[in-house]
Amino acid sequence: MTDIALPAGFQDLEPLAARWARPTENERNAIRLSAAPGDFVDFDALMAPRLEALLAHLATLPARPEDPADYNALLLAAAFAEAAPHHELYGDSAQVPFSFDARRFTPDHGTEAT
Amino acid sequence: MSHPAASLDHIRRSVPQIREELGVAPVPVRAIRDPAIYALEKERLFKKVWLKVATAWELPNPGDYKVKEMPVADTSVLIVRGKDGRIRAFHNVCTHRGNKVVPNSDFESFGRARANVLSCRFHGWVFSTEGPLKSVPLQDHFGQIDTACLGLRPIACDEWQGFVFINFDPEPAQSLADYLGDFGALFGGYPYHESTTAFRYSTVLECNWKVALYAFSEGYHVPTIHAGSLPGFRGIEHSDFKLMGPHASSTIYGAGMDAAPSTQKFAGILHGSECHKPRPDLLPPAINPERRADFQFELPNIFPNLLIHLASGCGYPGMSYFTHQFWPLDHGRTLWEGINYFRPAENAAERAAQIHVNALHRNAWLEDTATMEDTFTGIMSGAIDDMQLMDQEFLIRHAALTLDRHLEEVD
Repeated sequence: MTDIALPAGFQDLEPLAARWARPTENERNAIRLSAAPGDFVDFDALMAPRLEALLAHLATLPARPEDPADYNALLLAAAFAEAAPHHELYGDSAQVPFSFDARRFTPDHGTEAT
Repeated sequence: MSHPAASLDHIRRSVPQIREELGVAPVPVRAIRDPAIYALEKERLFKKVWLKVATAWELPNPGDYKVKEMPVADTSVLIVRGKDGRIRAFHNVCTHRGNKVVPNSDFESFGRARANVLSCRFHGWVFSTEGPLKSVPLQDHFGQIDTACLGLRPIACDEWQGFVFINFDPEPAQSLADYLGDFGALFGGYPYHESTTAFRYSTVLECNWKVALYAFSEGYHVPTIHAGSLPGFRGIEHSDFKLMGPHASSTIYGAGMDAAPSTQKFAGILHGSECHKPRPDLLPPAINPERRADFQFELPNIFPNLLIHLASGCGYPGMSYFTHQFWPLDHGRTLWEGINYFRPAENAAERAAQIHVNALHRNAWLEDTATMEDTFTGIMSGAIDDMQLMDQEFLIRHAALTLDRHLEEVD
């Protein structure tokens, strides 16, 4: 994914969105599971300082934003929501340490595509 | 809330009482190891007691249905909301020659019946969502057929607080309300139906169903198994033991953990929301009756295979409650289902925060499930004959005793 627009004020994060933002949990899982330790370090370094501002923007939007750039902003926040623990808790490992194989978990979130 | 806390004093137990009532001896693992026990469990337990199979909010409209494969009862079950608004359960079996009325390839699937009828794809027999056989193609070509007797085969079905239960016994020994007994009173009154945002996970575990059930039935493992996902979890206390016939419950308290920077920001979104903030006031009165600030969740085992962890936003940020179920597929294979329930997000920031909290809990479940196949392999090796159980593992001891009683009963 090379072209993913974000709202005004967040366009500097568009390369991150292109790398990480995906509409479904399975797609985000696949990216995360193939990430190298340095990817988590970079994601956190660029995203953590902007998270509060991004969440403040998202708080003004419906749960499923219609505007494509706003929707991409939600997907970026969702990707960080799932990736941040790998930097903060799991030593930049793509796997949860000492865990069951994540690929054997099947997500099913009702009307939300997975 | 029709059940004041005082009326449930008789279910409460101290540690000495638990030890006195349930014993302290090691518990044999034979019921896990022996395939013959599983055969008995199918006939004397899973085909006799009430089993939760759906929620009413999964089937909000007339015609909505859910199909659930249930190898433990050797059948496929159709749960459907009829035109009259009532949810019923049927064997998903066409009364013509036994084909599935609704074909499916997963353990569960959902759909909506058009015009409140379901049509078997084999020969086109049409059934009302309320059960009766409505039409048979070429009916006058049958030399003998009594369509009035050929409706979908019903399964006893009832609801508690929007949770849909079935009982495969054609004449259940107890009503659902009687079966749930004091558990229904203890957990009744919480607005479960408002938490319709569900994150569901499932997997097939190569272990006996009780290994998975027991692993999720105690808080003793939290400081070790969850050292990665719940770092620095402080002051964990597993107490307020309660016995309620075949069911049991207890409370997990905890002084908190070292929340990571991102968690603090995501949690802040939910804790700052009127909709998602901790709501101890919504807890039924006999759960955390002192309204302790360190309440995390109430952990019950609804016999035989359901856990409903009620948090009301007090544990994982914004999480209303979560459930586990353990469906035997065979003696050594289990379908585990874990579902996190939240109230619907009102904006995109709340949605992202729920995704974060859900991911943290999913990761904790990955840590939990990592033990189960190893535990089963260890038990099957024959190296141990008993489980050594401490006080916080009393739900396991109680479930094992309850199971023994069911298997001993002679028809």
